[in-house]
Amino acid sequence: MDTKTQNIALHDRDMPSLLLSHSARRRQRLAAVLGNGLLLAVTSFSMLAVLFIFLFIARDALPFFQHDGLREFFTSTRWYPSAGNPEFGALAIFFGSAMVTFGAILVAVPLGIAAAVCLSDVIPFALRQFVKPVIEMLAAIPSVAYGFFALVVFAPLLQQQGGHLLAVAVWIIGLPSAVLAIIVLSDVAGDRLNDRFQSLARWGIIIVLGSGALVGLMVIGKSLSALRIASGTNAFNVAIILGIMALPTIVSVSEDALQSVGRELREGSYALGATRAETIVKIVLPAAASGILAAVILGVMRAIGETMVVWMASGNASQIPQPWYNMLEPVRTLTATIAGDMGEADQVTGSSRYHVLFAMAFCLLVFSFVCNLASERIIRRARQKAGG
Amino acid sequence: MNLKTRKILDRAFAGSGVFSILLMTAALVVLLAPMLIRGWSAIYFVATVEHRQLMLERFERGNPERVAAEINAAIAARAPLYRMIAAFEKQLETCDPENRKRYAPPLRELKKALHSLLGPAPGAIRPMLMRDQYGQMRWDRALVKLRNVLYREAWDYSDPTRGGIKSLKPRAAEFAGTPVEPLFAYLENNLDKMLLPRRTLYWQFLTDNSFDSHFFGGIWPEILGTFYLAVGAMLFAIPLGLIAAIYLTEYARETRLIGILRTCISTLAGVPSIVFGLFGLAFFINTLKVSSSKSVLAGALTLALMILPTLIRASEEAIRAVPHTYKEAALSLGAGRWHTVMSVILPAALPGILTGIVISMGRAAGETAPIIFTAAVSVGKPLALWQVFSQPTPALSWNIYNLATEHEAVDAIRHVQYGLVLTLVALVLVLNLAAIFLRARVSKHLKG
Repeated sequence: MDTKTQNIALHDRDMPSLLLSHSARRRQRLAAVLGNGLLLAVTSFSMLAVLFIFLFIARDALPFFQHDGLREFFTSTRWYPSAGNPEFGALAIFFGSAMVTFGAILVAVPLGIAAAVCLSDVIPFALRQFVKPVIEMLAAIPSVAYGFFALVVFAPLLQQQGGHLLAVAVWIIGLPSAVLAIIVLSDVAGDRLNDRFQSLARWGIIIVLGSGALVGLMVIGKSLSALRIASGTNAFNVAIILGIMALPTIVSVSEDALQSVGRELREGSYALGATRAETIVKIVLPAAASGILAAVILGVMRAIGETMVVWMASGNASQIPQPWYNMLEPVRTLTATIAGDMGEADQVTGSSRYHVLFAMAFCLLVFSFVCNLASERIIRRARQKAGG
Repeated sequence: MNLKTRKILDRAFAGSGVFSILLMTAALVVLLAPMLIRGWSAIYFVATVEHRQLMLERFERGNPERVAAEINAAIAARAPLYRMIAAFEKQLETCDPENRKRYAPPLRELKKALHSLLGPAPGAIRPMLMRDQYGQMRWDRALVKLRNVLYREAWDYSDPTRGGIKSLKPRAAEFAGTPVEPLFAYLENNLDKMLLPRRTLYWQFLTDNSFDSHFFGGIWPEILGTFYLAVGAMLFAIPLGLIAAIYLTEYARETRLIGILRTCISTLAGVPSIVFGLFGLAFFINTLKVSSSKSVLAGALTLALMILPTLIRASEEAIRAVPHTYKEAALSLGAGRWHTVMSVILPAALPGILTGIVISMGRAAGETAPIIFTAAVSVGKPLALWQVFSQPTPALSWNIYNLATEHEAVDAIRHVQYGLVLTLVALVLVLNLAAIFLRARVSKHLKG
């Protein structure tokens, strides 16, 4: 492209008279520069928007930090913004945000990567055409509809049948993984021995470990079944729903990453006799690791910035659960606090109560900005590596 | 490892992938099923005579004579109830004070429960609130209220470890031996004659205003508000997004400035939606003062900012998908760059751009957080076009939240909530399906 334009430029320096008169050409060039400038100005609008967002959120967040300082905000769990002597300890709220985000990632990352691998390497192209719309629809459903589902359908279900649901989930995940683990272990152990004891050892391992795993699963399932969940609106509920919401992002970005790993790598691995699973786990996934990491970061951003689901279904209790990893307790997140408290703080514009919400928004903004830069850099570097 | 084991592991691996895709599909089905099934019940349900009376009185729908005849039949069927109560009240007046004290509170409760089932008793003063002027409109709600008449809820707090335990006590037992005792059996057996249930298609749910904080009527103000917000956001975002996409694909050279610009666009895409809401409040309303308080205009501007990156990216992709040969042919015919863009590239990229526009519009229609502080109110009249510059509006997304969590009688208006959700989800999904369809045609077109 560059050489081509150069050629044209050379060309018309040689024969200016053939094209246009001098003044007409100048006018045209002026118009081109002006037009270019205008287009650039319009395009820069998004830069301006980002700048203004940072500026205005920071402008309203600053008074809070000036007046109340950082220490209480980040270290205390006492959140009493409307008390006579208000306290703005947001640690529990930060913790709530982190907790539901972490839970959502726990749900979305394994499922999302498995689905992406399946889409790019396992199922045939014709079938993919039917799966893509499913992902797109999951991404398109408005967050308030997810929130409504979490509050009206999922929360009562959890409250009434939560223990049984958890037990069933443990069985569905635990049984196949236990079977696989036992098969692999028996195989590995069997290989070490000589032929005579091999099958004996193998069966011995299968029987011992198998019964152990069964008993373990039964005990866990029983104790989970007996679990009584006090309130269906809790961190667990929100984490599951947020996980489903983050799935489309993770699937599509990591599928792109998997696709960009070339055919040659895969074919080389197959030629060496690796199965498909071995090829993907040992060759494709490591090669696509940075793209998948970017996908996970984008998923985190989606989950932490989500408002409606957590506002409706997280219980909105500003507390760190007891014990801290107990996901079956209600929590409160940054986004939900902003959405819920602004209605009351709106009338008292200028108070600490108003500015503290901007301080939270500023933290969210900075976090998402950093995540975004990180994911961009990772993707760009991966692209350079793939290109070079 | 054994070859057999490796094969098993391979199968299990593929299986886990298929499992997660199936799980995703199942999640979609589980999510949509209740909305589809129960959402319909806002429009197509078993309506009672009270519903027909409301339609006649408020909207002048239905045949006045037939409805009047039905109302009379219902009144006739209800008459024995009120006769029994009147007889009992007369008896109480003459009996000793102790009995009167004993029966007065349960009787009051009974009358209240009957009121909420059947509406005000004949001859009573017309209540102020609209929700008190009519009995139950829907048969399913009427059955719930019937239980309230037949049984009294009692809470047992004797065991402190388990919280309150609910039990139902039949009211008939409380009134044993009084003239009211047969009322309960009569009510249970003749409820259909008192309410005359009939399957009704209430499609006007989509076009009616709501009354008395959504206890009655439809969701037209919400639909209109969402329409204004989404279209307004597109009006601002499309020119900006399109020009930015054209510039980035056709004009910009990869300088440092453009690199920063691209980073800004992706940053804008990553800003949490609630932060957009706060920004809209702090900038459009408190600083620019586009309106004195919340307004559709401020909401549309905020939403426009939010969907701008999506729009830019989609349009960029669509423009890049146009084959190079188109552009080169136009340039070789002597067209200028702007001319080429306007007459060759944009028409070829138009379906792809439309796809992006349609998807962003769905996103703008469904988003709640940015409009909480900038545009949304929970109850309002449908706005005329010139009011969008100064007035806030109800919107589908906001009202789903509001009615499901902050309404005074969340359970009584479940059908309205589901109706709102179905409308919003259907709107967004139809837009997205249109986009999928458009894209399928585009790829065929550009290939062939």
